[in-house]
Amino acid sequence: MVQHLSKKLLSGMMLAAMLGIAAVPVQADATTLHMAWSQDATGLDPHKQTAFSSLRLLELIYEPLVRLDASLQIVPAIADSWQFSPDGKELTFKLNPKAKFQNGAAVTSADVKASFERILDEKTGAAARANFLSIASIDTPDPATVVFHLSQPDAPILTAMSDVNAAIVPASEITAGSIGTATVGSGPFKLEKWDPNSKEVLVANKDWAGGATGVDGIEISVLPDETAILAAMRTKQIDFALLNDPLVATLVPKEASLQLNRVPVLAYHVLQLNPSRKPMTELKVRQAISCAIDRQEVLDTASLGEGKVTGPLTIPALATDPSQLFCYKRDVEKAKQLMTEAGYPDGFSATVIGATGEPPTAAAEAQVIQSQLAEIGVKLDIRMMELNVYVDAWLKGDFDMAIALNGGRADPYTMYNRYWTKTGNLQKVANYIDDTLDSLMQKGRTETDPAARKAIFSDFEKHITEMSPWIWLYTSYSYTAQQKNVGGFEPVPTGSLFSLAKVTIQ
Amino acid sequence: MRIFRGVFAHTSGRIGGAIVALYLLLAFLGMLGLTPHNPLMQYRIDRLHAPDGAYWMGTDLFGRDVASRLMTGIGQSFTVAFFSVAFAALAGTVLGLAAAWFGRRWDGILMRIMDVLLAFPAILLALLIIAVAGPGTWTSIVAIAIVYTPIFTRVVRGPALSLKAREFVDAARTFGSSPTYILTRHLLLNLVAPLTVQVTLALAWALLTEAGLSFLGLGTQPPAASLGLMLSDSRNLMETAPWLMIFPGVTIMISILGFNLLGDALRDILDPRMRRSIA
Amino acid sequence: MNYLMRRLATFPLVLIGVSIVVFVAIRMVPGDSITAMLGTEAGLLTPQQRDALAAYFGIDQPWFIQYWHWLLGLLQGNFGISSTYGKPVLGVILERFPLTLELALLSMIIALVVGMPAGVFAATHNEKLSDLGVRMIAMIGQSTPNFVLALLIIYTLSAGFGVLPAMGEFSPLWQDPLRNLGQLLLPAVTLGFAFAASVTRISRSAMLDVLSDDYVRTARSKGASARSVIWRHALPNALIPVVTLSGIEFGYLLGGAVIVEQIYALPGLGRMVLDAILQRDYALVQGSVLFIALNFMVVNLLVDLTYVALDPRIRLREH
Repeated sequence: MVQHLSKKLLSGMMLAAMLGIAAVPVQADATTLHMAWSQDATGLDPHKQTAFSSLRLLELIYEPLVRLDASLQIVPAIADSWQFSPDGKELTFKLNPKAKFQNGAAVTSADVKASFERILDEKTGAAARANFLSIASIDTPDPATVVFHLSQPDAPILTAMSDVNAAIVPASEITAGSIGTATVGSGPFKLEKWDPNSKEVLVANKDWAGGATGVDGIEISVLPDETAILAAMRTKQIDFALLNDPLVATLVPKEASLQLNRVPVLAYHVLQLNPSRKPMTELKVRQAISCAIDRQEVLDTASLGEGKVTGPLTIPALATDPSQLFCYKRDVEKAKQLMTEAGYPDGFSATVIGATGEPPTAAAEAQVIQSQLAEIGVKLDIRMMELNVYVDAWLKGDFDMAIALNGGRADPYTMYNRYWTKTGNLQKVANYIDDTLDSLMQKGRTETDPAARKAIFSDFEKHITEMSPWIWLYTSYSYTAQQKNVGGFEPVPTGSLFSLAKVTIQ
Repeated sequence: MRIFRGVFAHTSGRIGGAIVALYLLLAFLGMLGLTPHNPLMQYRIDRLHAPDGAYWMGTDLFGRDVASRLMTGIGQSFTVAFFSVAFAALAGTVLGLAAAWFGRRWDGILMRIMDVLLAFPAILLALLIIAVAGPGTWTSIVAIAIVYTPIFTRVVRGPALSLKAREFVDAARTFGSSPTYILTRHLLLNLVAPLTVQVTLALAWALLTEAGLSFLGLGTQPPAASLGLMLSDSRNLMETAPWLMIFPGVTIMISILGFNLLGDALRDILDPRMRRSIA
Repeated sequence: MNYLMRRLATFPLVLIGVSIVVFVAIRMVPGDSITAMLGTEAGLLTPQQRDALAAYFGIDQPWFIQYWHWLLGLLQGNFGISSTYGKPVLGVILERFPLTLELALLSMIIALVVGMPAGVFAATHNEKLSDLGVRMIAMIGQSTPNFVLALLIIYTLSAGFGVLPAMGEFSPLWQDPLRNLGQLLLPAVTLGFAFAASVTRISRSAMLDVLSDDYVRTARSKGASARSVIWRHALPNALIPVVTLSGIEFGYLLGGAVIVEQIYALPGLGRMVLDAILQRDYALVQGSVLFIALNFMVVNLLVDLTYVALDPRIRLREH
């Protein structure tokens, strides 16, 4: 055995010598975390970038006023404390006096005001603006105090402010027009070098108000193929990696030296029906589809069971037990009966669209659903498209059905007002609304009592699953893989990698 | 008939012919539905089942029988490969001969158009065609055919230029043979050999390009199977379920072996010089 | 010389053709820079916000006006600014080109060094066991998709031997030649395997052709040695199809090898173009396609000139 092993090692070293590479990683700078991900950031403007991959980078550099912890509770970031006025129309923040931008300047109330004015300015083109429309004016009584005056009570606004899309940037950089080219944040790391689609170099920000970081720097390599990421981790080139594909992530625990971190996320896999297209216009047809789908089986097949069947609410504190929701237990007989009642005893044909690789499980989900719906006579034609082509069709509402992985938010109003209110920006994609949904959403927005909010959104969840404009399927995990000598990483449901600030290498 | 006899008399022709015939038979059986299992049936309790008596080549992520999917996949892949190469070879031969024959300005214009086509990234081309026509079998065929047309054009033009300059063409010209006669009788016949090799090469390429397109999600649409799609679907399951990569891989390999052996035999049989030496 | 000048004179015309086709094509594919940046969040934008972003990306005018501005810039040597890199397009391309060129050259060297002798060997041992062996290996090479080969190599090395070339940061040849070759060797082998297989087959077949030709038979009958017949008389003539094939393949490789670059995480042209297309970085797509087209034309010109060198009977100026 020993002999065999040493032989293997020897041949490995010979190979390494031949390839001009080191079999053992260089330990010279032990405090640099070597990290990898398969998708790179697409830009550096924290107010404009909405791609998951961009946010993961930007939240290490920029800070919002507040932040979400692992249980989705709001905790201080730039702001030390905050307070809603009794009528809910005034929100006051006290800033951390130690907070400093990476150019040495202190973070003041003027920077906060300028940042939010930039987000609200339509010329900026910030998609997050939609979450802050209730801001009527911003006061800065002193450098450490900011008061937001709201046009109406807006409970979810605080959660929206925890997003890096609401990051505080220096007022001077806004004036200089250099947001997006120069990165001057107040976060734990400074971006030293960015070579798009290749690598990022981050160095610790010694002045960070949050204290000292665990490592002196992070080097992020973009390895587009996740199998290659796993291979690079096997050979210890990479200490820490972000993984998307459950087929690859489930291989990590098989390696003795590696550890897989997984956490259920807020994003949800969903089959969006288009209720403006026949025959999905019929409630009974939509319900039949809901009853004919075995969500657990979709999860088990497409994601190897890595996840949890979910209703519309993915926030653990608010979610209803899915078994209580309409037809969450598969019932083919009921589905067939509903189809007959709707006038489609022999089923119908429809097309389902999906984005290639976004999520990696999309094609597999489509195929399981196709096979399940075939049992009630619904003949699905699968069209997989390049992501942008898909987004274009999706935004135009140009589909019969769509497989999607939609982002979740820590607040259900912020998460769903775009779809399920009468004035929602994406109502043209959702194509379904009724008075009950709209009024529940409006109540949920203004209600500040947590118990009452929970009841409202529970009603919302029951109602919408019964109306079945969409078939919510499951939530999956966010995966990170690490060498076992990396410590201190805490995965969170938003997928944020912010706790890399406290990660150490033993 | 003579060609069939020739193939049969040729060692590599016999082997290649047998392989291609076997594949066509399998594809035909697949088309008739005479597969061990329904290729689309998802046996969900048997997901990622290793090969055994019930599933000769195992099952995939969905519990579909790999052997049955291979049989229908051969049909799909062969359809794409045959048609795209046929279109590309036809267009390329006509354009290549035209360029060589007319020379001068026509040669310049044609070859520059081919340069434009060659310079165009195949992925952008595929994206564009698919955006306009929607993904599917014929879209893949057109995309692959367009990518390979310039290659055939260049492959035909090179030797055609060289042949055109040779004595026997000059002789034919001085004897007053018509251009059509020279083109078909002298040029085309002498080009059969390089063309056949190019066609067998291209068939192999087309099978792989289809795999590449599927890898990028632009080829055959699920749940239909093609050899390339099966292979690219297997990439992240390589360690969990190696049979998903091995069987389609070996199937592609043997089919290309068959094409090539048959192509070599055809080359020998069709080559006029070989005929001369046999006669 | 005259011929060379005439060919070079056609370059601008072809490039203008390519640029118009690319300019229109990339804009015809659904989705734009805005949806590429925002994904489905783009649906949250107000019309004013959309206009502001369109102006930011320079896609707020009809395509022909955009084209005109772009063309004017081009004449001043300005390829535009890449929206993803925030840098001048030409700089981004030139940063990536050395890798692509080196990879293409390495693959071609591997292909020719392995493929040509193998092909000649197989041709001179026609239908013998050794010929069949060579052809067998060539067919395996031709029939293995390069992503399968790349994944197998990476898996075998990392899981079996615990080694892997340095992934991530790429070292240019002039900075760290050893590390550079370590990083490029496996990708070059991956690409070179199929390339060598094609070269083997084509040179075997061309060799067989030429060996049956009259003048070779004449040379033989005049008592030239077998070796001299093959290397002095036959090979130069058999080279034409090999040059054609290698030229095309090399030209393709100069356009980047998307899948191999992805798997080995190499920052080459192929991945750059793919990313630019996926992110709808119009300026970068236009610039790089133009650049790749120019490379192609240069390679094709070299191939045509090689024909003349190899076979004086092809008279380029005959007309």
